[in-house]
Amino acid sequence: MQLSKRKYTNALLGFILLIISLSMAIPVLYAVVTSFKFENEIIGSSPTFFPRKFTLTNYQYIFDHKDVYLRYYYNSIIITIFSVLINTVLATMMGYAFARLAFKGRDTILGFILFIITFPLAVLLIPIYIMEYEAGLLNTHLGLILPNVTTILPFSVFIMRGIFKSIPIELEQSAEIDGASVFQTWWKVMLPIGINGVSITIIYGFYNIWGEYILAKTLATKASAMPLTVGLTLLKGEGWNYGILGAVIFLAILPPIIIFVIFQKQLVEGLTRGAIKG
Amino acid sequence: MTKLRSKARVKARMGMFFTLPGLIFVIAFMIYPLFTSLYYSFTNYNYVYDVKPIFNGFQNYIAAFQDETFVLTIKNTLVFASTFFVSVMILGLVTALLLFYFKGKDNLYKTLIFMPIVVPLSLAAILFNWIFAENFGLLNFIIGDVFKLTQFTYGWLTNRVTAMGAIVSVTTWSSLGFITILFLAGLQGISGDILEAAKIDGAGTIGTIFKIILPNLRETYVITGIWAILRGLKIYAPPVVMTGGAPGNATRVMYMHIYDNAFEFFEMGYASALGFILSVIVLSISFVNLKINSSKGD
Repeated sequence: MQLSKRKYTNALLGFILLIISLSMAIPVLYAVVTSFKFENEIIGSSPTFFPRKFTLTNYQYIFDHKDVYLRYYYNSIIITIFSVLINTVLATMMGYAFARLAFKGRDTILGFILFIITFPLAVLLIPIYIMEYEAGLLNTHLGLILPNVTTILPFSVFIMRGIFKSIPIELEQSAEIDGASVFQTWWKVMLPIGINGVSITIIYGFYNIWGEYILAKTLATKASAMPLTVGLTLLKGEGWNYGILGAVIFLAILPPIIIFVIFQKQLVEGLTRGAIKG
Repeated sequence: MTKLRSKARVKARMGMFFTLPGLIFVIAFMIYPLFTSLYYSFTNYNYVYDVKPIFNGFQNYIAAFQDETFVLTIKNTLVFASTFFVSVMILGLVTALLLFYFKGKDNLYKTLIFMPIVVPLSLAAILFNWIFAENFGLLNFIIGDVFKLTQFTYGWLTNRVTAMGAIVSVTTWSSLGFITILFLAGLQGISGDILEAAKIDGAGTIGTIFKIILPNLRETYVITGIWAILRGLKIYAPPVVMTGGAPGNATRVMYMHIYDNAFEFFEMGYASALGFILSVIVLSISFVNLKINSSKGD
């Protein structure tokens, strides 16, 4: 009696979870399935969820108009890769210093950075825009990479600081006894053990910059310089063909999904490996 | 002894060396802009017409509160942020509790619930624009064609209330996965002993949730709370992409007003002042959240 009641409750929980999961997934799935439909099926009189006739014409269209669509992807890829790369180097260095290398004023700097990130980007945007206008950096990749790095750096530093702090100090001391310099200790001991933290930093940075909108909208005013978060919103006004829209969105979320799949394994491995060695 | 001290000195020097590159970024793109913007907020500075900023005291701040549209955007932002906060916190907590208590395979559920995290907010807005579209939108399709309730199909984005609701729903949709992860981590952090003790005392599941679990999640409320508050008050992409502030100014938010003043009209001084008013609101609400959740019961 008791047992079967528990079973029913569990089934009910599962059912509610199923409904929540579906309502979370349907918007994305709908875009994906629509991208494989012909236009007359999308706006026809009796639409269905799944395509009745499968087609790749919408993808064909995107590749036929590559100056418009693929340019945004190219910009997004360049901006994201370089920002994440620079951020990861800076954050692993700074995180190590904040965790293990005490110097005068260190905690003040840390506290100040913590305070400053609560300010909305809106107040920083105006001087950044003027600065970049005068330096000729508007509508360039570099002009977006530099401020993008800065927006993800503080939190990345906190991630790396936490990871480095959790590594037993004895490991560092034994490296020092073996005659390793501070730089060697960081590169050969701390980074390999803290690799899971590096993965988290990369994922965090990737998602944030791939999806970044406000900096891009402000600093890239020409279509040729826009990443896809901004570029695709402009196409909205041009009498959207929903099939193409679905295809474009599917292509736009593919890289974050790939990144997640790649690093998920490494995250788990990194965690266990770190635990065994530590 | 001297060897130890010199080692500490080497470490301090290396510490500065390791901090410097990142610090240059922070100074150039955070600290310098923050103080420059603060200065601009006390000046009259149109980037197109004025050669340089002209100091005008508190005039921008006074003008801001006489600007009816801006006052309306404060109201809209607060309405949006509080609706979003309540919906994402409750849904996130409930979803995390369901996952916590559900016994069985939950990997698929988790994957689907976390999936929207990979969709950039501005693209999610395009997606929801389409879902809420009057013609050929998914929502009207479900209501009209699946449930045959054609009288309830609607122009969701052209009505004041439902337009705001649509913006809340896309932001909630895109944030729910992350909030759920944080709540789930918080739930898993509650020690099994406490839950076991509650069970031995004869507390039912509902009693345990309200008496033991919810009060023990205080640290998680601080993090999820601050995240939801910041995301709510800094909302920008969804209203821009979905409604452009329409109908009327019903979905016009503070961030939009700041942005338009700065980069449509190039009123850099006035826009900076508006930015600092938003900052004060963000900082004070975040502070209240921190106070409420850290003082209770200590």
